[in-house]
Amino acid sequence: MKETLKILTGQGYWSPLIWMAAALGTLLLAAFLWSRGHRQHKRGTEQELPFLSGERAEKAQVGALHLYWGLTEALGPFLERLGNWHSGVVTDYAGWFVVLLGVVVLLLLV
Amino acid sequence: MSVHAPILAIGVALLGGFAAPLWAKLHKTLRDLWVLLVVGFVGVCVGYVAVHVFTTGIWVYVLGGRSPQETVASGGFPIRIMLTVDAMSAFMGVIAALLAVVAFPFALKYIAEEEGKTLSLTLGLLLLAGILGMAYTGDLFNFFVFLEVTSIAACALIGFRTWTSRAPEAAFKTMLLYSVSGLLFLLAVAFLYGEYGALNLAYISAQLSGTAVDRLSLALFLGALLMKAAAAPVHFWAPDAYGQAPAAKTLLLVVNTQVSLYGLWRVLFTLYGGILDAPVGWLVVSLGLLTMGVAAFMALVQTDLGRLVAYGAVSQIGYMLLGVGVGLVALSGRPDYGLVAMKGGIFHMLNDALTVGLLFLCVGAVEWAKGTRDLRELGGLGHGLPEVALCFLVASLALAGIPPLNGFASKILIYEGSFRLSPILTALAVLASILLLAVFARAFQGAFLGPRVEVKATVPWVFLVSMGVLVVGILVLGLVPGFFVEGLVTPAAEALWRGRALYLAAVLGG
Repeated sequence: MKETLKILTGQGYWSPLIWMAAALGTLLLAAFLWSRGHRQHKRGTEQELPFLSGERAEKAQVGALHLYWGLTEALGPFLERLGNWHSGVVTDYAGWFVVLLGVVVLLLLV
Repeated sequence: MSVHAPILAIGVALLGGFAAPLWAKLHKTLRDLWVLLVVGFVGVCVGYVAVHVFTTGIWVYVLGGRSPQETVASGGFPIRIMLTVDAMSAFMGVIAALLAVVAFPFALKYIAEEEGKTLSLTLGLLLLAGILGMAYTGDLFNFFVFLEVTSIAACALIGFRTWTSRAPEAAFKTMLLYSVSGLLFLLAVAFLYGEYGALNLAYISAQLSGTAVDRLSLALFLGALLMKAAAAPVHFWAPDAYGQAPAAKTLLLVVNTQVSLYGLWRVLFTLYGGILDAPVGWLVVSLGLLTMGVAAFMALVQTDLGRLVAYGAVSQIGYMLLGVGVGLVALSGRPDYGLVAMKGGIFHMLNDALTVGLLFLCVGAVEWAKGTRDLRELGGLGHGLPEVALCFLVASLALAGIPPLNGFASKILIYEGSFRLSPILTALAVLASILLLAVFARAFQGAFLGPRVEVKATVPWVFLVSMGVLVVGILVLGLVPGFFVEGLVTPAAEALWRGRALYLAAVLGG
């Protein structure tokens, strides 16, 4: 295979064309399996309506902030601490710069 | 003309920026044509320099000598201002020119006359001139001068929307931190000048012996450039700055960050390459991991689409630091995996410029069409803005490193290179990528999916062309990565990895 189409990674190579061929094969297999299944979906019926919390809601969308609710809740204390770290106070930011500089100086001089 | 291409690229951008208000006095259209002409000319010069450097080697251009090739004055001492363009410098120049060619046509339509369009164009050209100056110069003091040019222009662009409360605040914070980092950089240059009596990068590099002053200077260089490169824990200014600058100009701010990384590579590999220890490499690797992790988690909780993309952009800095940091750790023994990781880190600079640039243009288009970037108010824009939705999707997948797009091509080099140093590094980097995929899936769902909503304005064709150019770039870099890795990235990585001796010889002779 020409070097323009792949990159050597030291332990092997990466070829987008081979990946796309594999992806296409997978898609075709998936399409084949899908075509063998039961055709229960009916267009233009209630099956197409959004279903949110048991209520039929028109023009409803799960908002961006509600995605990963469980993840953000579980990580709540960590994310809150991370948010506090980004305080928006410029003296805090300058303080972190001093900390970084101190670490670098210690690393290089001690 | 071709002999003077490196200085013309910088000089024309600089003078072109100052001339823009004069053209605006005559007619606004003449100003727009002038800006496009200047950007086009700079692009041609940068392209010419890149082709020359990649085919014939390092290009040294001397100002003030009897000829541009007279590098060393009588006595064997380089005293004149000098541009030293090797493959890494040329690579950086190409990234800057590419994004400028996309950003300026977008800006001509995006920024309204009453918002101070002329000023923004002038500042944009000054920023471009400063970036190219930092990439091309072979002189430490001139690097500082161009660093300050970029800082001033960047801060002015960040605080450009003075009628909002947040923009001047973001500009103030950035200006303060940029000023501190600039002063530290100048102090480091002063230390080296006091010790060696020279400002030429190659000359000082040949003289460095690892004294306490040399090491203190390195610490100051590192602090200053890590700050400007937005590495954690000194990245705080970047999300504010990226979020507040006009979208079209944010592309140049991204390149401004990258050229600071370029400065870091230049200091570490070329200036200090002869005396560098592995702990510095581990420091860069650690900061890379910290940057990608912190930024990815912060992106998860953002409600403003611009700030979300900004944190995504900061996280990508972490991958570049990780890739090149692995190369630094491995520099003394020079095993193959070090070069592989460095290629990944450097390739990611180009990929990041395209993907993050495209994301910011999409944010600009969304704001143009809907009048807000607040994810709590957005949704359903995919119906009215299908082209923007498609561009955002492509850029998001590329940024998260999904094959076969360009982000994956550079990340796999970083993953495989860092795996050989420690599998933990790769595991953490992959986790950050997964988190970013989740973050951008959320952003796409929140902004573009859902029931149809009305848009205030349609997206102009100029926006779509600018975004289309970046999409094509992302696809081409992703589908034929070998062409670019072999032709552009490998020479740039080799220029840092093994090219120090050549760099010094090109300037000092011998």
